Amino acid sequence: MIIRCRDISKSYFRGSLEIPVLQGLELEIPQGGYYALMGPSGSGKTTLLNLIAGIDRPSGGHLEVCGHALNDLDDDELAAWRAAYVGFIFQNYNLVPVLNAYENVELPLLLTDLSRSQRRERVLEALELVKLADRMGNYPRQLSGGQEQRVAVARAIVGDPDLLVADEPTGSLDARNAEEVLGLMERLNREMGKTILMVTHDPKAAQHARVQVHLEKGVLERTVEVRR
Amino acid sequence: MNYLHLILRSLLRSKRRTVLTVLSLAVSVALVAVLQSVLFTLDSFTKNPNASNRIAVRHKVSITNLLPIRHADWIRRQPGVEAVMGLQWFQGVYIDRSNFFPNFATEAEYLTTVFREEIVDYSESQFRDFMRDRNGCIAGQALADKYGWKVGDVITLKSDIFPITVRLTLRGTFRSRKPSDEQALHFHYKLLEEGVSYMKGHIGNIWVRARHPEDVPGLIERIDRHFADAVDPTTSETENAFQLTFLKMMGNYSAMIQSITAAVLVAILVVTANTMAMAIRERTTEIAVFRAMGFTGLQVLGLLMAEGVLLSVLGGGLGLGIAWLMAGGVRQTAGTFLPYLQDFTVPGEVLMFCLHATMGVGLLSTFIPAYRATRRPIIEGLRAL
Repeated sequence: MIIRCRDISKSYFRGSLEIPVLQGLELEIPQGGYYALMGPSGSGKTTLLNLIAGIDRPSGGHLEVCGHALNDLDDDELAAWRAAYVGFIFQNYNLVPVLNAYENVELPLLLTDLSRSQRRERVLEALELVKLADRMGNYPRQLSGGQEQRVAVARAIVGDPDLLVADEPTGSLDARNAEEVLGLMERLNREMGKTILMVTHDPKAAQHARVQVHLEKGVLERTVEVRR
Repeated sequence: MNYLHLILRSLLRSKRRTVLTVLSLAVSVALVAVLQSVLFTLDSFTKNPNASNRIAVRHKVSITNLLPIRHADWIRRQPGVEAVMGLQWFQGVYIDRSNFFPNFATEAEYLTTVFREEIVDYSESQFRDFMRDRNGCIAGQALADKYGWKVGDVITLKSDIFPITVRLTLRGTFRSRKPSDEQALHFHYKLLEEGVSYMKGHIGNIWVRARHPEDVPGLIERIDRHFADAVDPTTSETENAFQLTFLKMMGNYSAMIQSITAAVLVAILVVTANTMAMAIRERTTEIAVFRAMGFTGLQVLGLLMAEGVLLSVLGGGLGLGIAWLMAGGVRQTAGTFLPYLQDFTVPGEVLMFCLHATMGVGLLSTFIPAYRATRRPIIEGLRAL
């Protein structure tokens, strides 16, 4: 299993008021799985995604992702772990506006020991994969929403992480671009064996996953295998 | 791409804001550099290493009271004394008051000995002509060049403090190591003594050159002790101390300049802090994305701090360039009525001070907003749209 959640709970505090978001959650995701986290707003799906991606910490329970017990890592270790194992795809793409497509994709590689030519090789490979090698000199403002999200996907995979986490990756895209990005993610899962965890409200987007995990009020309601 | 590239790109995110901040920094740093350079230049007159052999003797009551010239005769006989010269500030006006330059009635025969380090190059024959002509005068080459004087020209000076106008014939010029030392004109003390009745046997200051610098403290003590009970008691001090006394007549210029410098530095700190706070606040989400990708808080802090320092150093560098250009202007303008500023330049010490100050401003102004940004939880940053 690449992800093991044992009795995970998470609460936020508003002043002295404790707001539980996740309670006693148990979840296991195998290597190469493509899981869609679904549920109404406030069900805790993004919180669960954040915990698994190591950008938030659980209030209780045990979390093991990519062979590391995240509870045991300090902030710097967790940052190094994210750089090595996790690729992020955000709803709003979150590209750096002052960097062109090439530079945006290269950004995570600044944290590695790769040489300039090795980095270039990796970036071009990632941009080829998302079919944007010809736009690598373009800045985010010169790209369409779909293209921006494909650059973001290239940035997420350039470091060859085991796990891709996507928070509403098609939430800001029209149907055609959404389909393109989802198709791309499916390829990454199928052909490159990337484990993908995607939060989505969209049942159509969730159909691209192999397993749908439904959350309700912070607890795992059901897990459904998608039939094609 | 490397980190420097990333920092430069971030800096140019809002070109207008960056340019305006750099300009405001540049103007402020230029002001600080010029003020500090003025201070440095003035201070250098009170720390003249060539003055270690010289003593200025004046009336104990005030710098404007006169001393009997016979005091000079007694001092001249003291062991350890190489030369003694009476010197009287004349304050002669050449054509009109805008043509200010220092001019002195001098016991000229001692001039090149007492001020050996300042009058470094002159024609022996010209100097002999000067000594032979009671109405003669000698001037620094830079001063002569400024007014287009040639040897043989007549220079008329109407004193502002003595009821006399002297018509002098330029008999020679001298060269010095510094332009400020070539701004003076000397004529014979006897001319003043003959023209102004109350100056007979009196002089403003007596300049003493000791044979060795180590003789100076003993001579100061001996001179003042000897004349302590005289009708005209003396205060003797090293030349540097005398210059300091003279400069202090302008007020506590040092405190004034330091206060202005501090105020300007605080102002640029606020301007830079505001710019960096805005720049960092706008990037809350981007910073969270960087950290999500695996950049540590320290790495992000370093990037932001480097950006702030680079912004400040750009402004500081440009400011120093402006100050360097302004230095020429100061020499041309203020130097005409304050000969001290004839040597005005932006010295290396001021350059380093300004660079350190701007780097300090960059670090201080960026640290708090950058630190807060890196301490903010990533998930909060990602939500901040």
